[in-house]
Amino acid sequence: MEQRYDAVVIGAGNGGLSAAATMAKAGKKTLLIEQHNLPGGFASSFVRGRFEFEPSLHELCDVGTAEDPGDVRKLIEQTFGVEVEWLPVPEAYRLITINEGKDNLDVVMPFGVQEFIGKMEEYVPGSRPSMEKFITLCEQIMAALAYIGKSGGKADSKVLMKEHANFLKCGGYSVSRVFRALHMPKKAQRILSAYWCYVGVSTDRLNFALYAAMVYKYLTRGAWIPKMRSHELSAAMDARIRSLGGEIWYNTLAERILTKDGKITGVRTSHGDVATEHVIACCSPNALFGDMMDQKDVPEQQTRMINARSLGPRGFVVYLGLNRTADELGLTDYSYFIYESVDTVKEAARANGFNEHPMQATVCLNRANPGCSPEGTCIMSFTTLYNTDVWGDIPEKEYVAKKREVAEQMIRDFEQHVGVRIKPYIEEIEIATPVTMARYTLNPEGAMYAYSCADWDTMLARLMMLKEDQIVPGVRFAGGYGPRIYGYSSTYLNGELTAKLTLADMKEAGK
Amino acid sequence: MSDFNFHVKPIGLFDMLYFKKMVPARQKALACGSAEAVSAVRAANRLAERLHPKVQKLKIADVIEHGESAKTFVLTGEKLAPFRAGQYLSVQLKIGSSVLTRPYSLSSSPAWAYEGKYALTIKRAQDGFASEWILDNWKAGGEVVTSGPEGEFYYEPLRDSAHVIGLAGGCGITPFLSMAYAIRDGIENFRLTLLYGSRKECDILYKTELDKIAKETDKVKIVHVLSDEQKEGFEYGFITAERITQACGGEPCSVFLCGPAAMYTFVDRELEKLKLERKYIRHELYPAPASPKELQGYPGDPSAHYTLSVLQYGETKQIPMAACETVLVALERAGIAAPSRCRGGECGWCRSRLAEGDVFIPDYLDKRRMADVLAGYIHPCCSYPLGDLTLEVWPE
Repeated sequence: MEQRYDAVVIGAGNGGLSAAATMAKAGKKTLLIEQHNLPGGFASSFVRGRFEFEPSLHELCDVGTAEDPGDVRKLIEQTFGVEVEWLPVPEAYRLITINEGKDNLDVVMPFGVQEFIGKMEEYVPGSRPSMEKFITLCEQIMAALAYIGKSGGKADSKVLMKEHANFLKCGGYSVSRVFRALHMPKKAQRILSAYWCYVGVSTDRLNFALYAAMVYKYLTRGAWIPKMRSHELSAAMDARIRSLGGEIWYNTLAERILTKDGKITGVRTSHGDVATEHVIACCSPNALFGDMMDQKDVPEQQTRMINARSLGPRGFVVYLGLNRTADELGLTDYSYFIYESVDTVKEAARANGFNEHPMQATVCLNRANPGCSPEGTCIMSFTTLYNTDVWGDIPEKEYVAKKREVAEQMIRDFEQHVGVRIKPYIEEIEIATPVTMARYTLNPEGAMYAYSCADWDTMLARLMMLKEDQIVPGVRFAGGYGPRIYGYSSTYLNGELTAKLTLADMKEAGK
Repeated sequence: MSDFNFHVKPIGLFDMLYFKKMVPARQKALACGSAEAVSAVRAANRLAERLHPKVQKLKIADVIEHGESAKTFVLTGEKLAPFRAGQYLSVQLKIGSSVLTRPYSLSSSPAWAYEGKYALTIKRAQDGFASEWILDNWKAGGEVVTSGPEGEFYYEPLRDSAHVIGLAGGCGITPFLSMAYAIRDGIENFRLTLLYGSRKECDILYKTELDKIAKETDKVKIVHVLSDEQKEGFEYGFITAERITQACGGEPCSVFLCGPAAMYTFVDRELEKLKLERKYIRHELYPAPASPKELQGYPGDPSAHYTLSVLQYGETKQIPMAACETVLVALERAGIAAPSRCRGGECGWCRSRLAEGDVFIPDYLDKRRMADVLAGYIHPCCSYPLGDLTLEVWPE
């Protein structure tokens, strides 16, 4: 082992990039290895014909404006010193439901707290008091989370009881339970539940504090995208890590975690061994503890913890380069949620397998980024989720036909319910299934949301158990498997948090 | 609203107790997981590996000669990756001290892959370093290493017309042959009218086979166009706008092209006359020309020689590089197994970091991601050096 590093980061997904930048900035000799040939993981881009597509994650929350930056913009611009041309997303979402008869929804919800409440009152007269209470709760949750974050996992329960009582009173419950307690009109609850697919957990199993924090960030700070697709951000992070002295090796697979007497001593890569005592993993614990380590070095408790958890949704995306403009096609909005219903329990159950009308989160990128494709064209992407490994069981002979069938269903549903024609204008099409995501990211089952945060595995509980979750010293998880759970913004925050904890480990070891 | 007192249960204290239960509940749940071994390799991962293997080790089972200048190699292996008619394999070669790749379209039916067989039909190219070597050295019983199936040159019903006009020149027939087989074998469902341009009748590859397929299915039609020979039963001349229009038979068609650069130049001009929307014209990728001399806007001195500093895993090596060749060729000549697949700028596998120096990339081959252009990443397969360079590469 010739090359020794203070830390080796496995995986250049968002969490890995963020962790590597944090380590390099702290002056640590850092190596970032990535099995694919470019950074970003799910935050990337690819080219077909004259179009450059966004593969999966399409927007960040908590960026905010340059004048009033959110945590993610602060981290990227101020902490890392990385420049990205951010573009704001025009509206929160258009929500369409198609199988609720006379209760079918077709609403467009804006960003901005007052704008959102005002619009909700238009659609659901009488919803204002409960919506205002919801926003107040959101604010209180944000304040409590800020306090917990600052306390570094040692929050004083007396302070919480005294100053954050409402947070404690709602923080343990599901979204549905709190909505009911707020006496929110049913229709308002349905409209407000639209973002559930961004977490992929039905509202009866989704922790309220997490959802409220997410919605609040979207409403107050809007959503933002990098102008040149996510690869702009990932490539800028790559450049920054190097300029901070970090090394990045692409096309390099982590094959084995090397240990001696149960202690981590290095990583065996497809290009040789490197020595380190600290591994930051932006990959699944399943891969690291199951496939890369000698089982005698993995405590049974660690294996039980992995088996206790379930994977979050796997993504399926149809990418279209269309030879007409968004105006010509009548695509008035940026973000469309099309669900059979806003009964999220039913929707989540439907996502356990194939179904006739897959729920969809669809984007017309040109509505946020008018110059994203050549003149006279536009870009759309249609995303749906699966809660099981249903794609893995498709016989290989049927794979291409199946993905085309699902893509066609989604395009047809969109055409029918938005009232536009899309299919005749397809100049380029690509379809990514969970198998595609497995191919490029090596995530188990192609899961893009890491471990589900449903029920007991909430972000709050993970943050409160930061210390005890680490069973094998010298290994910490960034990315979607990290404590702040998955999501474009969360993974950046996870990366930084994990690196900081690793820096503390190093300090401790140095004593 | 600040005095707003939230509660779910009638007494707020119970809500707080509920909150306090979050950690013990999670501790308990985590401890209840089974002790069974874990892995990240699940069904979807196994399917991904089957569909997209990084390498395939194949055996040359048979060699079929087509005159003096072309051969078909039947390759066999266990569990071959399935492919879509029109896709290619990137073949890995070691010739002398050089390591290199070449993309060759699969000429067999996709149905063959399920029986453990592929076919590649390779024609001796003029000054073709690799094709010469392959034709002389690949013998039955030998071994070949390839990529998985790659490429985007295939029929897609959500995008293309149900009637495809295939314009083939010379060895460019191979992906169309695969498509014709796929139609005959019921794997693809579209109508294919082939305008196949050759110099003389004796240059036509797979004539008997193509004619046979056309008899077996009425979805495939073949029109042979000879440029250097007037003969009964063959069209004489070139693939012109008029011939394409005639092949369309008055209905909307997608036009697929595969052939040498000279054919693209000619046929593209003919296609302009038809004023087809861009979505109806698809080219198999253009390989980067061996030399940049003829390229529009080339500002360099093609006779110059430079030094390429290659950075790999923290170590630097210096190798010679000729201005008249791509950066990828310089790497290959030096025996550096830089990643590559399509060799036409499109697939992005060779993406490498240009740390120092300037290169010339012809516009029509520059398919890089926008952010890569700014960040100084290049695709060496279609980049020609304009001076000394420092390049970071990551062999697979």
